[in-house]
Amino acid sequence: MVVMDVQLASLFCAGALVIIGLFAVIFIDNIIKKIIGIAFIEEGANLFLIALGYKAGGVVPIFMPGMNASWFAANSAYPLPQALVLTSIVIGASTLAVMLALAMVLYRKHGSLSAREIMGDEE
Amino acid sequence: MNYLIPLMVIIPILCALIVNVIGEKNRTTRLLSILVGIAIPVIALVAVPGVQYFGGHNPSLIGSMLPASLNGTLASMYNTGIVYVFSDFERIFIFIMGLVAFLAVLTYFTEKKEISGPYLYLIFMGLAAVTALMLSDDIFNMYVFFEITALAQVGIIIATNTDDNYEIALKYLIIGSIGGPMLLLGIGFILGTIGSLNITDIAYVINHNLVDPLSPGLVIGFVLILFGWFYVSGLPPFHTIKSAVYSKARPNGAAILQGFSVMCMLAFGIALIRIFHHMPYFNQLLVLFAIIAMVLSVSMAAMQWDFRRMIAFLAVGELGFVALGMGIGTELSLTAALFQATNEILISALLFIGFGTVYYLTKTSDTRKLGGLISVNSTMAIMVLLGGFAMAGVPPFNGFMSKLMLVQSAFDAGYPELALIAIFVSITIFFTFVKAFHTIYLQPRPKDLKFAHETIPKEALFAVGVLLVVCLILGLCPWIVTNVFSSFVGGLI
Repeated sequence: MVVMDVQLASLFCAGALVIIGLFAVIFIDNIIKKIIGIAFIEEGANLFLIALGYKAGGVVPIFMPGMNASWFAANSAYPLPQALVLTSIVIGASTLAVMLALAMVLYRKHGSLSAREIMGDEE
Repeated sequence: MNYLIPLMVIIPILCALIVNVIGEKNRTTRLLSILVGIAIPVIALVAVPGVQYFGGHNPSLIGSMLPASLNGTLASMYNTGIVYVFSDFERIFIFIMGLVAFLAVLTYFTEKKEISGPYLYLIFMGLAAVTALMLSDDIFNMYVFFEITALAQVGIIIATNTDDNYEIALKYLIIGSIGGPMLLLGIGFILGTIGSLNITDIAYVINHNLVDPLSPGLVIGFVLILFGWFYVSGLPPFHTIKSAVYSKARPNGAAILQGFSVMCMLAFGIALIRIFHHMPYFNQLLVLFAIIAMVLSVSMAAMQWDFRRMIAFLAVGELGFVALGMGIGTELSLTAALFQATNEILISALLFIGFGTVYYLTKTSDTRKLGGLISVNSTMAIMVLLGGFAMAGVPPFNGFMSKLMLVQSAFDAGYPELALIAIFVSITIFFTFVKAFHTIYLQPRPKDLKFAHETIPKEALFAVGVLLVVCLILGLCPWIVTNVFSSFVGGLI
């Protein structure tokens, strides 16, 4: 049985999420589905960052009392991407919240969730 | 420790939070907003150049505390926290952005009797975010503040209450939600290749060939960040949505939105140059998209009957000049690009606020329904005309000086065709602007033209006057900023 490396599998999934999300944003007309596509893209980017910091057999990057500094430096996962993803999740959640709120307002105004109907006459 | 550097970001954030809470208390909110509006440019003027290490880290001290196994490695040299760098270059842009924010807030107070705390919150959060963008030497920190700026921009459009503002806001968010993650993915590729997010560290590693400058991670990162930069700057294919955003905002909002865009463009543009200047076709790509932006935006501006759309397209087209200077890539062209960016913030603000008074008077922006407005206030009409001349590059204004430098740099670099395109676009801007000015101010007033207000607010006159004076000073004494830009560029390339 072929066992795929966890990091490679995560990167592959991240790429798939971004591509599916891009497809939804560009080709699907329904605004809610576009927003779901955007969530896919954001999560794909987050998974990519998390996968970057992965270390096979590594330990959680928290320096505990009694740990040897050199051993810790050699064996801990890379903590920076995890910190970035936390920030990125907050940004993504805020953006999604604003987009969903706008979608609600526009649905009440136009009675439709079709991007072509709602934004078609813009530009 | 120079505490004034982080204060340039902290003060507007605090002000944003406070005015959001006490927004209904008109007097206090106005006073606080004006005080902070004055404080930011003043702090930018008096702050001593320096470096701020957040979290108290200092790489030269931390390096000695690391485990022995890391000694001598790149990791021991890296900045482990966020770093803000403040020099005369940042001083100029933060001062100008602070000045425009102050004037925008001042004119906003004349528009509305009941002011909105959340609207002011958005303006100050945006101001804090672009200030942090200029100061930060950390590319992820820049991304975070860019996202805050983008959300503030969307909020400013939503708060405008014009036709289709929600539609434009959602469209901008959806498009931005592609541009933003691409930027983040690009940053991820750089992190994966270099192991640091600090731009100085990244540039050091690349310039000293400690990693392969053309490694796949860096090349993919470059493509993704360049795409993100086009979105940040409103360069094609994002020029249409950017101009739509400006045209939907209030005049003061549009003035500040364009300032935000220029600051974001500059911060990421400089980061791009520092990290990716070695990439094949880097300059050619910038020049190509700059020309498309200039030609498309100015052509679309020439076809508009709506003067707000016209100025919006002209403002986006002017960003093409900045990108052109960056693309030519010589010391003179980069200096010209930075000077052009300074001028762009000032002139666009002048025109958005100046032409905004036409909308304030008549509640229409359709030039076919307007005319004879010079009789309402000739001073404002003349100042708007001079602002248009500054944008088109007519002497003795700042726009002339920066475009002259740009044309000269294109000739010097051996690209006379680029110089000719820049001149042709400037002439088109001139005619587009003069046509709109003639229609709005000089042609006979239509009989059915109704006025919502009889006079122009004094604050708007003051704001436009101040901006015009600054434009004139920079036109007559360009060395005030070009000397700083020139030495900054010297360290950049």
